[in-house]
Amino acid sequence: MIDNIFTVSSLFEEFNQDKNDESYVVLPENKFDIVISAMAGRDVVLIGLFCAQNFEGSGGFTLFYVFERRECKHIVVVQRHLNVPTASSVATLFPSACWFEREISDGFGIAFPDAFDRRPLFLHEKYPDGFHPLRKEVSNQPIETKLVIKPGDEYQFKEMSGEGVYQIPVGPVHAGIIEPGHFRFSVIGETIFNLEIRMFYKHRGIEKLAEGKNPEEAVTIAETISGDESVTNAFAFSSAVEKIAGITVPPRSLYLRSILLEMERIYSHLGDMAGMIVDVAFPRGASHFFILREEMFRQNNNLAGSRFLKGIICPGGLKKDITQESLNHLSNYLDTFLPRLESAVTACSISSVIDRLETTGVIQKELIPLLNITGPAARAAGATIDTRYDHPYAIYPDTGAGFVTSDKGDVMARFNVKAQEIRNSVQLIQNLIKQMPAGGVITPFQIKDGYALSLVEAARGQSMHWVYIKDGLIDRYKVRTASFCNWQAIEHAVMGNIVPDFPLINKSLNLSYAGTDL
Amino acid sequence: MNKKFSRSTLIVPNVTENLVIRDEEFEKLGLQLKDAVNSIFSRSLAIRELDAGSDNSTEIEMVNLTTPYYDVERFGITFVASPRHADILAITGAITHNMEIAVKKTYDAMPSPKFVVAVGDDACSVGIFKNTYAVRNGAETVIPVDMKIPGNPPTPVAIMTGLLGLMHLIRAHKIS
Repeated sequence: MIDNIFTVSSLFEEFNQDKNDESYVVLPENKFDIVISAMAGRDVVLIGLFCAQNFEGSGGFTLFYVFERRECKHIVVVQRHLNVPTASSVATLFPSACWFEREISDGFGIAFPDAFDRRPLFLHEKYPDGFHPLRKEVSNQPIETKLVIKPGDEYQFKEMSGEGVYQIPVGPVHAGIIEPGHFRFSVIGETIFNLEIRMFYKHRGIEKLAEGKNPEEAVTIAETISGDESVTNAFAFSSAVEKIAGITVPPRSLYLRSILLEMERIYSHLGDMAGMIVDVAFPRGASHFFILREEMFRQNNNLAGSRFLKGIICPGGLKKDITQESLNHLSNYLDTFLPRLESAVTACSISSVIDRLETTGVIQKELIPLLNITGPAARAAGATIDTRYDHPYAIYPDTGAGFVTSDKGDVMARFNVKAQEIRNSVQLIQNLIKQMPAGGVITPFQIKDGYALSLVEAARGQSMHWVYIKDGLIDRYKVRTASFCNWQAIEHAVMGNIVPDFPLINKSLNLSYAGTDL
Repeated sequence: MNKKFSRSTLIVPNVTENLVIRDEEFEKLGLQLKDAVNSIFSRSLAIRELDAGSDNSTEIEMVNLTTPYYDVERFGITFVASPRHADILAITGAITHNMEIAVKKTYDAMPSPKFVVAVGDDACSVGIFKNTYAVRNGAETVIPVDMKIPGNPPTPVAIMTGLLGLMHLIRAHKIS
């Protein structure tokens, strides 16, 4: 017993290190359950859970539980080695683990017999039985899929019943130009009684594709995780590779990367605001945001030669420098941007719009740590979390980007938080351009073997990347975007709302399907 | 009317101004496309967009076509909600196994004559996912494709150029 207490308290000591880094703690299997139970309910959030096979030559499977403690810079990663492909579930203690465990179960064939939800996650009906793509013995090549899907193999949605309860199945193909996913509504009249989402229609095998690639090749894969998060994911991946190699990038490259990250945030938020206004049937108001977003895309193209800022970030810095002329052009443009943003926001400040946004799609604050909700969705519900502050990277240790919160948690709060974040990002970019250091943009380096975690705040929330390099090649690449966790928030946010408000709530969270499905 | 649009807010009504950045190449393409749409599709071309595994940037560019800078409705092009209303299926992504059934059903739901345009590198069978476990090798491995518009993602101008190419192709077949 004394030994157990010692283990838990020493684990908590790890969080208190004032280093922006992570500690790996190996727990023996017989201690695991008691230590994990002690972690629950103590401001500790399970931000990631993933598996690696033959990690450090160990043979078998290793599970990594990534814990973040609020107000602590340091991350604790609990390592759990499995001798057999079976493990106990932590999903009742840490609900965010539910999807993580189902993901591991599909990818590696590891069973969690006591889990409350053991349905497949990303391997849908067409995949052959017993196929686990992330296992090392499975090579990445085209597979034979099932030609006929028997009724017994079909995915089982939860049954909701009662007088007057009926179901509305929506998707995977939706009415608009958006990504595919399935929403199963249980409805009483117009009111949503329950929503169950089924994602992963776009599962492309990102993590497996990265295996065996060198970091230069893999950065292209990181950019493909989600097209509108290219900068975040390329940056997070590169940071992990740089951390393993023990190098720092040149100051100019730090500044330029920060500008690119903020540009991505601005255009992403503009798209969300436009979408919210479209979904309350006010296209005239939305057009202002669409105009500003298109202009940002053109600025992106001017900076990086890509409207989505692809192909510029690489491990070590940037593939190419950005000219002072482009930066001045951006700075002059941003001077005119803010007054136009204000008039766009003002145009939407009318009662018929506000009526639709207020009290709609409320995210309860209590759910935030349990489901690991991050980004504007969490900040608009009163959580003071932002990876740029909590685990500073790039130039964020020096220049605060402005911290925006609201306590309402509804669509209106998310709209306002995003508007304010755009203003702050514009200000930040202007400051960065003024202080831009001269010099090179890339540090040449030798790729080293090892593993590292990297956390970055995307427009949608925290993106977590874990890279393990062996013999100079990627052996395991784990990505957990903000969308993966935030999607589970939507099931709660829509309850008690009417079905016609679902698109609005969905747009206000603007989650990436590609970034979830991988 | 085409050259002007409103930039004002609702509190300052009835003021229009010229676009700051106007893409002459796009305008020219649009008018050529409009001519073709007028003669081949009786002035109205309905496109159903279907994502079967893209990284979502192609979807964003397709949405951009409907926003004020591009506004392809001026040229008789609309993005429709149902495949039953569509002349063209614009498909993105290499077609994941998880989307294959939905792709076939969507294609089958379209009335003939129907055309398929593969948009983006993955759909055009040249993307990074080629020959991997989770996808088919592009749109043409599942349904017949009439036109390919590569790019990662293709720009609005590239998408318009591709659509114009499809119009030429349809015309050529009608003539022959």
